[in-house]
Order: sequence, then C-alpha cells, then structure tokens
Amino acid sequence: MAAPPSPRRPVSLSAEAITAPEERPLQIVLRRFRRHRLAMISVVIMATLFGLSLFARQLAPFSSNEIAVGNYFLSFGARSAETGGTHWLGTDNIGRDYFSRLLYAGRISLSVALLSVFISTTAGIIIGAYAGFYGGWLDNVLMRFVEFLLTIPILPILLIVSSILLRNEEAVPIPQFVLVAAGKLMLLSPADVRQAVLIIIVLAGLGWLNTAQLMRGMALALRDQTFIEAARSLGMSNPQIILRHLIPNAMAPIIVDASLNMAGFIVGEAALSFLGFGIQDPIPTWGNMLAATQQFMYDRPWLPLVPGLPILICSLAFNFIGDGLRDALDPRLKL
Amino acid sequence: MTHYLLRRLAQMFIIVLVSAAASYALLNFAPGGPLAGLRQAQGDQNIRLTAEDVARIRVNFELDLYLPVRFTRWLIGQPRGPIIIGNYEIFGNIVVGCRQPIESTVRNAQGFSETVTVGCAEAVTLRNLIGRRTSRGVLFGDFGPSWKLLRDRPVSDLILSRLPKTLELMGLSTLIALGIGIPLGVYSAVKQYSRFDYFVTTLAFLGSAMPTFFFGILLILGFSIIPKAANLPYLPPGSSEAVREYTVPFLGTIQPGAPLDVILHLVLPVVVLTIVNIAGFSRFVRASMLEVLRQDYVRTARAKGLIERIVISRHALRNALIPFITIAVFIVPGMFGGAIITETIFSWPGMGRLFILALNESDYPVAMALLFITAVLIVIATLLRDILYTVIDPRIRLS
Repeated sequence: MAAPPSPRRPVSLSAEAITAPEERPLQIVLRRFRRHRLAMISVVIMATLFGLSLFARQLAPFSSNEIAVGNYFLSFGARSAETGGTHWLGTDNIGRDYFSRLLYAGRISLSVALLSVFISTTAGIIIGAYAGFYGGWLDNVLMRFVEFLLTIPILPILLIVSSILLRNEEAVPIPQFVLVAAGKLMLLSPADVRQAVLIIIVLAGLGWLNTAQLMRGMALALRDQTFIEAARSLGMSNPQIILRHLIPNAMAPIIVDASLNMAGFIVGEAALSFLGFGIQDPIPTWGNMLAATQQFMYDRPWLPLVPGLPILICSLAFNFIGDGLRDALDPRLKL
Repeated sequence: MTHYLLRRLAQMFIIVLVSAAASYALLNFAPGGPLAGLRQAQGDQNIRLTAEDVARIRVNFELDLYLPVRFTRWLIGQPRGPIIIGNYEIFGNIVVGCRQPIESTVRNAQGFSETVTVGCAEAVTLRNLIGRRTSRGVLFGDFGPSWKLLRDRPVSDLILSRLPKTLELMGLSTLIALGIGIPLGVYSAVKQYSRFDYFVTTLAFLGSAMPTFFFGILLILGFSIIPKAANLPYLPPGSSEAVREYTVPFLGTIQPGAPLDVILHLVLPVVVLTIVNIAGFSRFVRASMLEVLRQDYVRTARAKGLIERIVISRHALRNALIPFITIAVFIVPGMFGGAIITETIFSWPGMGRLFILALNESDYPVAMALLFITAVLIVIATLLRDILYTVIDPRIRLS
C-alpha cells in the first residue's frame, strides 16, 4: 500500500526565514574579541584591579599614610598588635602597610592614566578631525608641528616640563572645582591632588599627538567618500557631518590607540614618579613606591616586586587588550 | 633638487629657531632662578646684601636687560655694544635695560602685598654693554655657563665629559640589537605562523610592554643581588667602574679600571637596552618583510626558479629594509638624549643621567642644551632620511 502522499507544507520564502539573522556590528566585534584569549584574561584582570582600587577605602585594612611606630619591615601576613589588622604584604621602612598603600596607589595611578587617556583622545579626535576635514594652512602647520614633536624622544620633554611645573605648582591656575572633583576620585585632599592634576596635564599635553595624526589620516580618507557626500547633499552642516558621520566611522583605530595609550600612560606616570618628577612620596603611586624600595632591595630582594608587578601587569594587560581590539575591529579580517 | 634642499633648509632653520625660543621661554619660566631667595637674604641682618650687590648680581645674570635684548644676546650673542663705523658710534644711547629699578610694594586684588617695578633709577644703554661677558649664542653652539652642576663652567664641557660613556653604552647595545633583531625579524616573517614566529613575536611583545625601570631592577635582583648573597659569580649593579678592588667568586679579585671590570659593569645596562631594542627592531623588520613577501616581484623571482635563499636575501630583504632607514637615522639623535631610565637605574655616568641630575639641581641650561641638541640632530636626521629614501628607492621623488 502506497503511503499517502504527505501533504506538502508550503515553504515560507520570507526574508527572515531564509537568511541567518544578521549580527549587529557590536556583536561581531564582541564575538571576535572573545576569540583573543589573552585579551579576555586581561579584561578580567583589569576589571579586578579597577574594582579593587574603586573600593580601596573599604578594602584597605589601614589608611595610606598610617604609620605604625616600630612596625618597620614587617613580613607578609604579619598582624598589627594595636589594631589587629593584617599587613597582607608587610610594611615599609616607616611602618606603612604595603597592601593598603598599593590599593590607594592603584586608585591614583589608574585615575591619572584614565583621565589622561580621556583628555588626550578627545583633544586628538577634535584636532585631527578638524585638520583632516578642512585642510588648509592650519592643517599644514599643525601637522608639521605634530610630526616634529613625535620624532623627539618623549621622555626628556615629559621630565623637563613636569619638573618645571611641579616646582611652580602654584603658578598653574587650576580651578578649585577640578581639584575637588579629582580629589574625590583619587581620595586625596585638594592640596595633594594638585600634583596628580599637573601630571595629567603633562601626559595628556603630549599624548594627543599620535591620536590627532591617526584621526587626521582617517578624516582624509573618509571625507571624499560617498556617504559624506550624501550627508552634505541632504543639507547637513560641516560640524554635523564631522560629529555624526566622520568621527563615528573613524573610531576603530582610535579605540585601539586609546587602549595602547592607557598602557603607555600607566608606565609613563610610573616612570615620572619613579625618577622623582611625578607624584611625590607621601602620596602613594606605584612608581614612587618602586623607587622607594630600591634602597632596601639589597637586604629584601622581594620588595621591588610588590609595587613593580602591578605596573607590569597593567602594561601587559592594556597592550593585550589593544591587540585584541585591533583584531576585533579590523574590517579586513573576516572571521 | 637644489630648490627642494633650499626649502627644506629654510624649514629646518625655522624649526631650530622655534625650539630655541621654546627652550628660552622654559628657562625663564623655570623656578629656582638666580634671584630666588635673594629677597629674603636682603632682609637678613647677618648677610648684609646692599642694593648695589643686588644690582651686580642682576648684571651678572643679565636680568637688568629687557627680555628681547636678553633673548638675542642668548640666541646669537648680539648686541654687544653700539654699532661703530669709523669713529662714529650709532645707537649708543638707546636704552636696553634698567640697572636699578624703582620698586614699590602694593596690595594686589587678593590682598597680598606684591613688589612691582614702577620706574627706573638708572638705565642701561647700548654703550654700557661694551666689555660685558657674552656667550657666542646658542645658535652657534655656546650654551653659556652651567648654573649648578659645574658652576660657571661652560655647559659644553659638562656634556663633552659625559658623551663617551653614553656612546659606549648606546653604540654597543644598538649594534648588538641590530645584529640580532634584524635576522630574528626576517626569519620569523619567512616562517610566518610557525612555532618560532609565535615565540619571537610573543617575546618582542613582552619586551616592548615591559617598563624599562622595572626590567632593570629585576635584572639587578637576578644577576647581582641574589647571586652575590648566594656566593655565586655576580655582576656589579651600577656605575661604569668600580671604586675599589672587589672579589667575585670564580673570577678572582678585580682591580678598578681593569678590562674585566669595565666589561662586567657594561653587561647589565647593555642587556636592558639591547633587549628593548631587539623587541622594536624585530617587530618592525617582521612587519615590513611580510609586506614585501606578498609583492609580485617576489613571486616572479620564485617563479624564475631562484633559490629561496637568494629570493629572500636579494629581492625581499633589501626592499624590506628601506623603511628601516626611518629607524636607523633616528638612532644618533636618540643616543644624544641617552637612555635616561637605564642610565639612572644603573647609575651610568652618561648623558641621560646628566639630564636627570641637571633637573634635580634645577640646572636648566644643561637640560635645555641636551634637549636643544637632540632637536637639531633630529631635524638633520629627518632631512637625511628623506634624501636617503630617494637614493635607495628611485621611485620616490623629492618635491
């Protein structure tokens, strides 16, 4: 007996049914980024470090400048007799708790780097987009200047500018509300935070050059493309085009650059503080803590690792994240 | 070509002039200048600083001259006096400064008292400048006297005394890094995605992400402090020569200044700089080599039946090294700034250390001189790079 012919179901030919659901650009980027295992690990590590320093006040068993007389160079995990708190990483030469100082220092070092990246990236985007989009003599002069500054070794300039600024602290007018806000962020008094703000100015002041050059290159490449032309023919003004079309489409390399800059600024701030031209001692930063351990490392060779490893970890992590972002954002790589 | 060179030279001159002006502005903005603290000393009964003394000190630092005059004297060593034609002097009575300003103390807007200059008791004319000590001018390579490190001795003496040590350190590490970095880059590009390539790129990545100062400290820990404590042969942690004789296990007693002593002191700083440089060089060469290996002429060379070795060395490598000129020409200017961090960690008596010392002591003429010379060398290097490009790659035209 022949089987009854099965009733043919009508096949739906609508667009949703026959095509795979399209991924949004953000989803594609995220999917690609997740494939970069080291970058993912770095994101987790950095999130932990940011979290730790965000809750520095709650997590630290001691305050950053609490001096315990007599408790000099306690070893890892020693307990304080007076307060009963544990010195997880021991104490330094004047009895300050390393672990707590590390947390507070992380808060300062990470805030300085983050704010510097934010300022320098914003400035770089605006200057680069303006120069690339409009061109003209201003573009010419500006880019020659940037090119020249980029070829000069950056460290000597950073050192000389910050040494002059730090000795003339009061000469630089910084609005009080900026100091108060930065002080809240870094858990410092407005008087102390002045140094940190000056370092941000110095780092960001020399950090926008690369971003501006990148942005200008992107603007030059994009400004004659059809979608910009279309936007113009629809009656958009130049500032609108720059803001709505040019900058969003040029963001990919800028984001990668910002992530690498983050690594650069963390190391840069640490280097300045290490050499004595950054944030000075009672205020903890990883750089000046590392410098302070140098004179004791002959007897206690593990000491430099305490502030040194966080610097190394941050530098590696942001480099890996930048690397992962570069792979994820590169439209030429179809994965 | 001539037209291009002339235009470039003019541009270079402007850049040098601008950097000179910038450095002069920084020098003048710099605190801890010669007159800082002088006012307090004037009030001190024990020191007895008269107004005449202050005026003399002002003359010594040229603070009695107006800013534009001071600037040109600093820049090109002029004006030194009135222009003399035959027996006539011209502009002799032009006022160029003020020897004794009249000062008065007023209250400013915030209610603090402030000293302001209200007039001039004794003017300085161009005629008064005759016979005054002047430098030949920064543009002619005279950076004037050092403020602090070698007080009143020329800055150039100080720099020349440090130059050999930096050249020794940087020259050696750059040569070694070139010798290792380029082959590494080439090989890992040829064997792209091999295990070797992954190994090299990972190491180069780590090398460029590693903060130099922490790396140096780690090396001192690992090769100097810990072995010394364990009675193993160790390397000296700092300086370029020992002060007194010392004994290293297995190597015996070493006299200061002996060849072995010098070599032992060189090892650690050279290793730090070399590894950082190798990381940079190998990444750069790998990238540009990969670019070239994709080109059609490399495929053609292979299709002709050339041996792979010749394809790589003659066709690919030579072209891949063209962008490397950019790095190579900037080696010399980079050397002049010295390796600031490395020299500081290993207390190496070179120019980077000098720079830090100068900043610590507020000896800004020394620091500015180093920066200015670097800027000039960079301008020259940029021109050299552009010219070299056209010589090596005839497709590039100067315009």
